[in-house]
Amino acid sequence: MRHSFRRDMIIGAIAVTALVLLPLVWPNKAFIDFTIRGASFALFATSLNLLVGYGGMVSFGHGMFFGLGAYSFGLLMQRTGMSIPAAFALTIVVTAAVALAVGAICVRLKEIYFAFLTLAFQMFLYSLVILWVPLTGGDQGLRGGIPRPSFLGIDLADQRQLYIASCVLLVGGLILMHHIVESPFGYTLRMIRDNATRAAFLGVEVFRIKLVAFVLAGIFGGIGGVIMSLFVSGAYPEFANWTMSGEAVFIVMLGGISTFFGPVVGTVILLLLNDVVTRFTEYYGLTLGAIILLFALGLRRGLTDFLLDYWRRSPWVLAAAKRGR
Amino acid sequence: MATHRRSGINRRAVIKGATATAIGIMAAPMISRAQAKPIKIGMPTILSGRVAQLGTSSRNGVMLEVDKVNAAGGLAGRPIEMVIRDSKGQPQEAARVARELVNSDGCEILIDAEASSGAFAVHEVARDLKVLCLHTNSETSSLTADPKQRIANAFRTCRQGIHDSIVGGAYAAKVANAKKLAKWMTCSPDYAYGRDTTAQFVEYLKHFKSDVEVVSEAWPKLFQPDYTEVITKILQTKPQALYSCLWGGDLTSFIEQGNIYALFTQTETFAVNMADYTALTVVKNLPKGIHSGNRYIKTFPTTPQNASWADAYRAKFNEYPTNWSWQNATAINFLAAAAKKANTADGAKIAEALRGLTIDSPFGSNGKLTIRAEDQTLVGYAIGWGTTIPTEPYVPAVTAGDWKQIFELETAWKKKNGYL
Repeated sequence: MRHSFRRDMIIGAIAVTALVLLPLVWPNKAFIDFTIRGASFALFATSLNLLVGYGGMVSFGHGMFFGLGAYSFGLLMQRTGMSIPAAFALTIVVTAAVALAVGAICVRLKEIYFAFLTLAFQMFLYSLVILWVPLTGGDQGLRGGIPRPSFLGIDLADQRQLYIASCVLLVGGLILMHHIVESPFGYTLRMIRDNATRAAFLGVEVFRIKLVAFVLAGIFGGIGGVIMSLFVSGAYPEFANWTMSGEAVFIVMLGGISTFFGPVVGTVILLLLNDVVTRFTEYYGLTLGAIILLFALGLRRGLTDFLLDYWRRSPWVLAAAKRGR
Repeated sequence: MATHRRSGINRRAVIKGATATAIGIMAAPMISRAQAKPIKIGMPTILSGRVAQLGTSSRNGVMLEVDKVNAAGGLAGRPIEMVIRDSKGQPQEAARVARELVNSDGCEILIDAEASSGAFAVHEVARDLKVLCLHTNSETSSLTADPKQRIANAFRTCRQGIHDSIVGGAYAAKVANAKKLAKWMTCSPDYAYGRDTTAQFVEYLKHFKSDVEVVSEAWPKLFQPDYTEVITKILQTKPQALYSCLWGGDLTSFIEQGNIYALFTQTETFAVNMADYTALTVVKNLPKGIHSGNRYIKTFPTTPQNASWADAYRAKFNEYPTNWSWQNATAINFLAAAAKKANTADGAKIAEALRGLTIDSPFGSNGKLTIRAEDQTLVGYAIGWGTTIPTEPYVPAVTAGDWKQIFELETAWKKKNGYL
């Protein structure tokens, strides 16, 4: 286990270095913006996949943590004037606390009931954001920009430095999540997904494991929200709306649920599609719908699922397996 | 396997063909003529979803004027090239599109044709990138009134909530005095705009006529399809007058369903957003005598310039302009005038020239529009109230609001909110 974590760390360090060096070779502002948004959505979608792919818990309300992360970070920065790391840490605490409370109620339920109860909680948060105008600004969102004072010589008001910070958060978040799913905890989670009754008979505290997974997913979803709030320098009710959850579910489906990097791939596909398609047509929904159809009818699953399956079925792998046997 | 491969090729061919066609069709009208050193103006707006019609009308308003400016030589000799993109009405998309327009597409000026939260998101982009930005659709007063929001490079060329409330309150009080309307009821959409606008209208109604009493309130949800319960509540309350800031499809549904109960013959109705062609032309059996603020109407200001602008717009786009059309057209008019004054297309110098600039315009209350220097927002535009008739011109006569009165009360309002 320690070995795989060390390997993750080395790969992560290489990835961060490559991402940081890339703009020096290829100074493209659009790429920098794209990566910041990508980091936000990738963390958000991967955290949902902790629930969907590894826990078998299809949450329709995961956007609540994205919105919560964005709003609590934005409000802390606007109202208290604390430093960015402090607000970041406090946001994690807030998200975890809310996830704990919501999760304690939701994870007792299964399948569609779980999905709809999470959706109900998200809409509760959304209504709160819309109605609590003195605090949240209602449907106008948090206006006036989020102050980004420098800390430790890092100035997140500078897009380049925000890019580096986002890359570090993305890679760090992915390493942690990978470590979680590869740990005994992660395997217990898979066992619960496949057969919760059997897991319970084996002495696994199903409720506790699911709850911990829910809280962890909430935290990483919240970090995605923090990055987004830094990118737009604000927080808006759309972040907490069900459409945000829908976007994450869509990314996960597009990328695939059976590989760890599926949601990251899904994020890149969706953002690229979004940015390219909206450049040329306002019939974005129509175009995207057609592409979803291609995925649903052509691949019948997410891209990485399809590729993994294709690889496993390839004559070369089959032959190797036969030789091995 | 073979069938698979064949179908793959077919699919690819279909996608290629479809994409090429889509690009061809969609890109053609958006790229205006490109000559030597054109100046690119980026415009994020809402071109899909529920309010797409308004976004399209913003684009139309801009293009109508851009063609004229380009025919006259462009901005200080540089032809304007508009780059117009859909934000889908999502603030994070509006921010993303605005950044991309400046950073990747090389736009030197932004026209922010976003509504509410999207406008604040673009405002932050303008703050970050220090690019000249003209807000054309956000009516939220704090965007320019609040000194904390203000930046030197952002302007507003559209109406705003506080002006509408003052004029509406003064007009309604006058009607209420004449017709002895003391018992009022409100019916507005349940979100920040609906709540704020209604509260502000009632505040100014009471300012001008202190014995008015609001006996009941109804708050239908935004985009609610069925208004039966609201209408029943109004019929039971029997108010002498009703105020509503429902808009668009919500307003037309409400009017049509209210017609069934002959609601509008029993109570004097003040619907601030009625006099916009998007509502007027859509509603079946438009009742006579509904009071409304002017959004955009061909009959007000009653000048040949305004009427001919509406006709030119209609001839080109086969529909009447909206409130968003004139506001976006105004942005281009101001840019052209400021570039002429500064004799350059440089954003910072245009911004300098815009402060306090007055131009001739069909949309001005006296044929002129001004960008007030102190808060960089539009004043002097045609603003007033009138009553409807079932057929064209729908609102034949509009009583103009008094700008002197608006300025006085606006200053008091700013002081009360700590903006001054």
